[in-house]
Amino acid sequence: MTTLSPTYPLLIEGVTKRYGRRTVLDSLTFTVEPGRITGFLGPNGSGKSTTMKILLDLASADHGTATIGGHRYRDLPHPAGTVGVVLEPNAFHPGRSGRNHLRIIAQATGLPIDRVDEALATVGLDSEAARRRVGTYSLGMKQRLSLAAALLDDPPVLVLDEPTNGLDPQGIRDLRGLLRDRAARGHTVLISSHLLSEVQHVVDDVVVINEGQLVTAGPIEDLTGSSAQVRTPCSVRLADLLAGAGATVEQTQTDTIVVTGLNLEQIGDAAHTAGIAIHELSPHAGSLEDVFFTLTTATTEKGTQS
Amino acid sequence: MTSINLVRSEFRKLTTTRMPLAFLAVLTVLAALNGVAVAVGTDMDGSKTFISTAADQQSLMAFAANALMIAGLFGAIAAARQFGHNTVISTYLSEPRRSRAVSAQFIAIGLGGAILGLIGTSLTVAAVAASLPFTTHGFMVSASDVTRIIGAASLAGASGAILGAGIGTVVRNTGGAVTGTVVVLVIAPPVIVQLANGAAPWIPNAIANVTSGVADGTSVPGAVVGLALWALVPALIALWTVQRQDVV
Repeated sequence: MTTLSPTYPLLIEGVTKRYGRRTVLDSLTFTVEPGRITGFLGPNGSGKSTTMKILLDLASADHGTATIGGHRYRDLPHPAGTVGVVLEPNAFHPGRSGRNHLRIIAQATGLPIDRVDEALATVGLDSEAARRRVGTYSLGMKQRLSLAAALLDDPPVLVLDEPTNGLDPQGIRDLRGLLRDRAARGHTVLISSHLLSEVQHVVDDVVVINEGQLVTAGPIEDLTGSSAQVRTPCSVRLADLLAGAGATVEQTQTDTIVVTGLNLEQIGDAAHTAGIAIHELSPHAGSLEDVFFTLTTATTEKGTQS
Repeated sequence: MTSINLVRSEFRKLTTTRMPLAFLAVLTVLAALNGVAVAVGTDMDGSKTFISTAADQQSLMAFAANALMIAGLFGAIAAARQFGHNTVISTYLSEPRRSRAVSAQFIAIGLGGAILGLIGTSLTVAAVAASLPFTTHGFMVSASDVTRIIGAASLAGASGAILGAGIGTVVRNTGGAVTGTVVVLVIAPPVIVQLANGAAPWIPNAIANVTSGVADGTSVPGAVVGLALWALVPALIALWTVQRQDVV
């Protein structure tokens, strides 16, 4: 008999947080599904870190709930073994060695101390680095140490705030692979980042917030891949044909058009029926950065007007 | 996870930085100064009457009041720097029931304070014993009284450390925690005595000296309870506070 591992969706439901008169989060609601990597995006000060802190019971919400697998963080049977967390890039005592930092966490959570060296190896910190005081670490090494702490108990949920910050290209690549592997195992992964190009390459879903409010949430392709690029020697003729079928067509080069409103199959079939040769037919991935700025600027302007 | 794991983890926090070494250095210097005072110091009249009786020597070696202050600073720094370095985040993630996490921390810090008190008074006794041969007086304090002053210093160390940790947890800033501890242990008691003369036997130094057997302002059990209360009040305020504060 196969026993399925429990899954842990993250549910943020109507969360409002105020600091004095300032509303940091305003009825924020979204879900993070297991088995997928979810990017949590928003400008600085939009409320991403506050949301994560409320999810992890480090801050309290004025209204609403934030749960992990249906439980508040503090009510999970083994919270630190369920959720691996990277929050602050400098949450270390500078005079303590990297290894001792992890040993303290391992001891507090009842893990065997030898898990420390395994976690250090996973993130590529060698024993010489592990012996050194954290105050001598580069930002990238601190980020690796944070990741090692998050991975200590092989948790089924990862909540990572700006995990690529300070990592070198190899480190970013390793992290991407690690997150992909986790998601493939049915784990829940939530990462925030201001490096939108990095997020674009690794996430399945995105949640965009601005000024504490949800802007959009859903699969990344819904945001960036809703149009198709077609390269053909008969671009004008095909453009007319597709426009007649209800699509919006933009001529980007003499032999290239971008089509919105029809899927790839519909475009290919229409071209075939009309006897038009197609040299390229591909999803047109608009930059997430463009979408992000468009969405957040729109909500900021809306907020200013109201 | 068990509470013992949390306490061991907190104790490892204390022993994996250089802070304990700094405090040990302070204790060594204080003990050495006592030794020098015994060897070369005199009273105003040039005599050595300050070490001429067992009671005088016991009074000189009674370290509980010093332990209270030194361990108070130790506790304040140990607790407050968690917030300064943001390591409180991993503490609360490991044990989100903050009262348990902070209680474990106070136990570990209290234990650390007790050890500082024990080491401080042992060094002082050793320094005085080593210096007495340079005088005309011998070591007159009985073994039971030596045991008592060591025990009293350990108790005062634990009490002071928990008091400081309570203040550090409420203030969440190292400079503020140190200042707060000095205010509570040094500046406030004389003011309290000015306002209410009957409180004199219950100020920290007075009850520490009672436990060492070098003062009799109150009973020994009363002094022990008094030391416990001086530690518990800020600790309980801290436990109440951490339930309500966000980690920002």
